[in-house]
Amino acid sequence: MTRVAKATGLRLGGFILVLWAVATIVFLAMKAIPGDEVDAILGPGSNASDEAVALAIETHGLNKPLVIQYLIQLKSIFTLDWGISFSLDDPVIDVIAEQLPATLTLAFAALGLAWALALVMALISVFGRFPWRIISMIEVVSAALPHFALAIVLIVFFSTWLGVLPPVSTRDPISIVLPALTLALPTAGFLGQVMRESMMDAMEAPFAVSARARGETTIGLFRRHLLRHAILPAISLAGWAFGSLMSGAVVVEEVFARQGIGKTLLSAVGVRDMPLVIGILMVIAAVYCFVTIVVDLVEAAVDPRVGKAA
Amino acid sequence: MLSFRRSTALPLVAALSLVLAGCSSETDNGESNGGEPIDGGTLTFATGDAEPTCLDPHVGGNMPQQIAGIHVTESLFTMTEEGEIEPWLAESGEMSEDGMTWTFTLKEDVEFTDGTPFDAEAVKANVEHLQDPATESSTGYLALEHVESVEPVGAHTAVFHMTEPDAALMESFAQTWLAMQSPTAMERGMEENCESPVGTGPFIVSEWSKQHSITYTRNENYNSAPATADHEGPAYLETLEIRFMPDATSRYAALQAGEVDVIDSAQPDTISQARASDGPIKDLLGVRSGASTRLELNTGGNTFSDPLVRQAFMHASDIETGVETLFFGTVERSTSMVASSTPHGTSHDDGAFDCDQEIANELLDEAGWEMGEDGIRTKDGERLTVRIPVSTHQSIPAEQSLIEQIQAQSREVGFDVTIDPMDLASWYAAAGAWEFDAITAPYGKSSPDVMRIIFHSDGIEPAPSGYHANNINVRNDELDALLEQANQTTDEAERADLYAQAQQIIVDGAYVMPLYDWQTRVLYSEDVQGLRLETNLSTPWFADAWINE
Repeated sequence: MTRVAKATGLRLGGFILVLWAVATIVFLAMKAIPGDEVDAILGPGSNASDEAVALAIETHGLNKPLVIQYLIQLKSIFTLDWGISFSLDDPVIDVIAEQLPATLTLAFAALGLAWALALVMALISVFGRFPWRIISMIEVVSAALPHFALAIVLIVFFSTWLGVLPPVSTRDPISIVLPALTLALPTAGFLGQVMRESMMDAMEAPFAVSARARGETTIGLFRRHLLRHAILPAISLAGWAFGSLMSGAVVVEEVFARQGIGKTLLSAVGVRDMPLVIGILMVIAAVYCFVTIVVDLVEAAVDPRVGKAA
Repeated sequence: MLSFRRSTALPLVAALSLVLAGCSSETDNGESNGGEPIDGGTLTFATGDAEPTCLDPHVGGNMPQQIAGIHVTESLFTMTEEGEIEPWLAESGEMSEDGMTWTFTLKEDVEFTDGTPFDAEAVKANVEHLQDPATESSTGYLALEHVESVEPVGAHTAVFHMTEPDAALMESFAQTWLAMQSPTAMERGMEENCESPVGTGPFIVSEWSKQHSITYTRNENYNSAPATADHEGPAYLETLEIRFMPDATSRYAALQAGEVDVIDSAQPDTISQARASDGPIKDLLGVRSGASTRLELNTGGNTFSDPLVRQAFMHASDIETGVETLFFGTVERSTSMVASSTPHGTSHDDGAFDCDQEIANELLDEAGWEMGEDGIRTKDGERLTVRIPVSTHQSIPAEQSLIEQIQAQSREVGFDVTIDPMDLASWYAAAGAWEFDAITAPYGKSSPDVMRIIFHSDGIEPAPSGYHANNINVRNDELDALLEQANQTTDEAERADLYAQAQQIIVDGAYVMPLYDWQTRVLYSEDVQGLRLETNLSTPWFADAWINE
């Protein structure tokens, strides 16, 4: 019992430490970028009156010393009072609540798609007649593709040429396919490589050889033994994959004109909307930490060795 | 030639279809630009401009708000492409002899979409809202700086009392940033008003899905069309949707795929492609009034403090060819300080901006800059450097390429030009801190008074926000006086003369290098009919549009 409490405590401590580090780094980075926050509040280049500027500075506490601003920022983050976005004039919490679901939907759809694609590639290279080196090459290439370039290629191919998928997000759920595919392909390339290696190793392991000697069919071997070996690395990499999907969402949401915190983050950085930038990055960090914890738990459930080692 | 052939073929087709009328009663009105307007339907307009942070155009005051706001909140006046003021919510405006009062006569029987009547009291409330520092207005606030108070005289007459004459007042009221909103709605406070401003316009904001779209529904009681409109009464479209699509490639792909009907900020090559193919995509180009797109030379820096060096820079590059090729013939090179749609602008084709590297070299020699071994000129150990910050949010790729051409060509005569691409906030910071030798800065205003804002020495002092509208950094009393006088003169001929003199001073000083008109570049599906740009800053106007399907 105490062991569990201790482990949970450590996790929670690490969690808070990560959030604190993110908040601090973002605060310093935003202060270091040239540009005036008053511009962000009043709209860049505005020729606002003295009174308007004074009012804005007072309202947003920009006349206080840097350290105080930092402490106010930290306090507001940990009391979950995330302040008002300079540029949108809405509470940061509300903005995030409005945008997060779209991004999470996209990220999970992409993660699912990446897993499926990676598994298919791994299976083809392990069991198929297709030479695995070619598959491996496809994996390497797709893992190296930048999201932006891939998005344009997919739009031109599926929308402009074939005309089968909408190039931008619409009310139709099908419009999630291209953005999800854009995010999934590079991730699938990477996951596929790892899964294939792991399955190939398992194929040659003594347990697989002995299973075959007992007369196990290929399908049975795959279902009972290899799948688990393929899934394990995919699960342990899920935290990493999810993080990379969240950051990829910044580009993808912009290109496909999708709603989401990625797109919001981009415009918030452009106008130095500090409360909003910090808020969004905190949420991304929190989601990432959360996914990592879930991954640890799932991993322990799938592979008993993991739990014992820890 | 193609269109000629088609028009000669039309009677033939018409005759044939008469003969065949028994077989088919369908008529094709796709090509004839019209037929009867069709009622209903949804039009989707994808804009490449930023998403506004507040839909109330009084707050702040920038292009994204104009694009989103003009369908909801209407202005007192509109302005034709020739720069003439026409009635909109106001029938007329008249300035007193001494310029100290303005009398606006308003349209009768107009209501805001929340039922509040539009009258002189509403005009007073709007001016007070714009002048209230809590509104955080910038464009509207500046435009009304000479207005002391508004006095309602009867329900439909508003008398403006001025602190000093302002001949540009009607022109200012032709901008969406000074549009009329329901006083009842404004009292709800900034937050709610930003979400759903209430005007008299052809559409009503029904949903604003942040980072995605704004949906508008038709105002069934609309009766206040501007004098420039094609029809009176409610819009044909039932629903209008504005989508925010920052990426130019996906915006164009969305139009091609039929996901959207109209796009703006189209790249010059796609416009030229659409024109060449004579296909299902049409283009509509309009000039945004205000300053032309131009390079302003900072005379306060080391490089451009010498007029000879400024002149040399003007002559070093072939802007004409650059604009022609990079913009695929969709815009012409400008030699004017203001957009061609802005009245009283004058073109200066007398050689001041002609490309002639021989003259450029002579001028630099005369100014004492000696050619160094690396091809860059130096003087007293200083290199001839030019820093140009470029906002990647404001300058489209073609414009950035044009600046790169200027960089390459002016290097041939010994200039070392550095281009710094940056985001908008950093760009404003660099501009505010005078960290540039040359800069392109858009400024929209449907009046030649834009010249007072960007060239008067008052504009050198930064506004409280840190940005100065005047980037040339010249304090010239004669120029200041001309610009002030022009702003206070009602006689158009006299006004034209004053502005012409002011522009000549700018050209003689070689302070500004005009490039081309600041444009609205629209591409739309041929199914869209009746689309035009409301001349109030060249914004797509959908009240007269319908969709053929």
